Amino acid sequence: MPSEAVPLLSPELLAQLERLELVSRKIFRGRIKGERRSLRKGQSVEFADFRNYVPGDDLRFVDWNTYARLDRLFLKLFMEEEDLHFYCLIDASESMNFGSPTKLDFARQLAAALCFVGLIRSDRVKIETLGQSAAQRGPTWRGRASVWRMLDYLQGIKAGETVSLADGIKNFCLRNSGRGIVVLISDLMDKQGYDEAFRYLTAQRMDPYIIHVLSDEEIDPDVKGDLKLVDSEDGDITEITASVPLFKRYKQTLAAFIGGAQEFCARRGMAYLFARSSQPVDQLVSGYLRKRGLIK
Amino acid sequence: MIPQLTNLLNPWQWALLAAVPPAIIALYFLKLKREPLQVPSTYLWHKSIEDLHVNSIWQRLRRSLLLLLQLLLVALLMLVLLKPSLKGTSFKQNRLIFLVDNSASMGATDVQPTRLEEAKRRVLELIDQMGSNDVAMIVSFSDSARVEQMFTDNRGELRRRLDAIQPSDKPTSINDALRLASVRANPGRSATDFKTDTAVAEALPAEMFFFSDGNFADDPEFSLGNLTPAQPVWIGTKDPRNVAIAAFSTARSETNVEKLQAFGRLENSGLTDAALDVELLLNNEVIDAENVTIPAGKSRGIKFDLDRLEAGVLELRLITDDHLAVDNHAWTVVHTPRKGRVLLVTPGNEPLQMALRTERAVEMADTMLKSPDFLTTVDYRNQSAAAAWDLIIYDRCRPETMPQANTIFIGALPPGDQWAELEKVNVPAIIDVNRAHPLMQWIDLSDVLVIEAKPLTPPTGSTALVEATEGALMAVAPREGFEDVVLGFELIGADKIGTNWPVRPSFPVLVLNALSYLGGNRDAGGTGTVQPGRPVALRPETEAERLQVVPPNDEDAVDVTRGKHGVFHFAATGHVGVYEVLEGSKEIDHFAVNLFDPRESAIQIQPDRVLKIGHVETSSSTDWNEARRDTWKLILLGALAILVFEWYIYNRRAYL
Repeated sequence: MPSEAVPLLSPELLAQLERLELVSRKIFRGRIKGERRSLRKGQSVEFADFRNYVPGDDLRFVDWNTYARLDRLFLKLFMEEEDLHFYCLIDASESMNFGSPTKLDFARQLAAALCFVGLIRSDRVKIETLGQSAAQRGPTWRGRASVWRMLDYLQGIKAGETVSLADGIKNFCLRNSGRGIVVLISDLMDKQGYDEAFRYLTAQRMDPYIIHVLSDEEIDPDVKGDLKLVDSEDGDITEITASVPLFKRYKQTLAAFIGGAQEFCARRGMAYLFARSSQPVDQLVSGYLRKRGLIK
Repeated sequence: MIPQLTNLLNPWQWALLAAVPPAIIALYFLKLKREPLQVPSTYLWHKSIEDLHVNSIWQRLRRSLLLLLQLLLVALLMLVLLKPSLKGTSFKQNRLIFLVDNSASMGATDVQPTRLEEAKRRVLELIDQMGSNDVAMIVSFSDSARVEQMFTDNRGELRRRLDAIQPSDKPTSINDALRLASVRANPGRSATDFKTDTAVAEALPAEMFFFSDGNFADDPEFSLGNLTPAQPVWIGTKDPRNVAIAAFSTARSETNVEKLQAFGRLENSGLTDAALDVELLLNNEVIDAENVTIPAGKSRGIKFDLDRLEAGVLELRLITDDHLAVDNHAWTVVHTPRKGRVLLVTPGNEPLQMALRTERAVEMADTMLKSPDFLTTVDYRNQSAAAAWDLIIYDRCRPETMPQANTIFIGALPPGDQWAELEKVNVPAIIDVNRAHPLMQWIDLSDVLVIEAKPLTPPTGSTALVEATEGALMAVAPREGFEDVVLGFELIGADKIGTNWPVRPSFPVLVLNALSYLGGNRDAGGTGTVQPGRPVALRPETEAERLQVVPPNDEDAVDVTRGKHGVFHFAATGHVGVYEVLEGSKEIDHFAVNLFDPRESAIQIQPDRVLKIGHVETSSSTDWNEARRDTWKLILLGALAILVFEWYIYNRRAYL
């Protein structure tokens, strides 16, 4: 049920996103100067502090006025501004192709919004899917001019990748060894579990955000009668007879599944966020993600 | 209300039908055809089902709920094909009259708990079978009938009123009940003979049901009109045991006038000989007892000699466990002896005066002798109006008005036009003497010759005591609580002898009988016994205007006021026993009510008795016309309900 017609970013959302920027709980060194204030002192125009001159310092930063008054050499320190690496990792497996709108559509919209924020703040933005092989690297965008290319790339992502969650994340980590923020948008529906995959993420020096997206049909299943449920990914068959106890049990299993992921992430310092695919993206971005500190 | 089944199918159709439930089960055992549905992942479903497998038996049972419902549905449909129905009664009319006998014999316990309760149960069965258009009326009857409930379709009310019918100790008469039923069914007929009574309900044809033991006579004179009698149901058994007291009284001993004797007659109406103890109680204390054996179907007398006793209540009691208890007790009240007060008005009648002077006669009564002139005095008028005498004998004279006393007229007619006499006849031939009447006991007139007499035309309700070919020579007639005896001939005329009776031995006996019966002499038992339901005339020696009568069965006392001629009339004698008469709180008199009804005591029923009412004869039956009351429609409705329920379950089972 992929819908090509869904616009990834509405004008209202764009206007809203203009005012936002990505925030990392860790400070990373960017490769080039960006719009982000660094802990390191650098060469911006904003004065930060003085310090004593030590031999070898660049004489260009000596404050000569102070030397004239105090007859001692001081070095003038300025605020350093740098860029941020922002990775958006989208699960494009077949199971993401369900719901209305589909979970993949939701993932694309959310990725578009977050990447847009990154682009306009001159961060380095990279979008990848789990299915990409280790050697295959995705494009990196920077600057407002790249918005349309980024959106085109998102539109091109199709569901149907068959790689497991753990393999996908392992490949991603192999491709991208640097620091930065990584946002994984997935339904975590992997029969081997998410533990191994998340361990790869924590091993990186990245700031991981897990956005767990499920469709309404998964949260409140509306099925009746005797059914043969066919798994969309591996074709596995489960026979059920719809009944109240079964639904009750399903809800308990779902709650345990979500709760387990949440706890796993909390223990390892990863940010976890649960989202319904039917939820409007702007609401999620401007409301929930702001509160959780991914953007400000 | 026995369920009946009718087979509508032949065997091979049944075989086909019987194959349906196994087919349903077989279909259920086959693998369910499940609808495939693609889901993002079966991951969570799989985990959920793994948990549920722990209680999979319950799951299977839940799944088979639909199977059970379908099997039930098929079973019900098969039952419908059997066309089940209940055995019932068909009513010929939609207006029903239930006549319930509550006479004494219905208290018999040969049908548990009693015949009356069984009758009520049978009526209840019919009430339960009434259709929505049927209306019913309940009449209880013994010697009289009473409408317990007028026509109504309110079954609850009918049941309540039926339940309220109480047993009585009264004898049975069907006539009153028939009249009551008839007036509801026949236009223009009256419940009583008086034309002022008009039918209160619209008169329409009705069906009449009898619930009785049949202890009553047929009524061949009755016209049923619109009434249709259903086959009567005789309630009872053919061989109940019952020994009854048919009579009980006291009399002075012939050999020793100082002593009293108590006489009883016992009847065994059962089919087996009965041996039992009979006890005689005075004021509730046993004073004598006897063991008697009575052959089946026979009766025997029993006699107790009593020492001199002043007054009290004598009770005769049978110690037996027969099926009818009401006739196992009898009471009689012995009063303090009191001399009668007699006035003889005669121009002179030596034989009569002599007869009143015998030793026994003097013991029984004080006689006052007056000439006919006395009748015109104020003294006579006052005393006769105040009931100063128990008996007044008018010999060849008559008063202007009748006195407040029993009277004997000799050779004269009482005033008024009630009595008449025919032409004088010479030497009439005496053909009959009514020896059954107390006045004529032990009287033999075969040697009596009457020279000339005027045969009498007595008023209605009178009893002829001596009859000749030309008419009654001596008769007795009741008058407002008194009795008048008239002799149609003179004992001695003015100039010649009228009859040779005074010189015959029977004459003093007649005088003694008259003193005993009419003279207010109460030493031989006093007031006679009364049957239940019959009125009692009380003449206590008191000036009080109001008395109270206390019934024997702990009921509330009944006030009685003095009626015309100074007599107290009491009619609520519904139960046997001794009734106390109170003036204020002082006990002044007693009277006994006894069943003494051979018909009520003979409690065998004749199952093949034919009841004849008017020209209609209804043979008895133990049951009425059978009718099938179909129930298959109800079952079909039930099956439909199950079908709807199944549909609901099928659609909503996700939530069950």
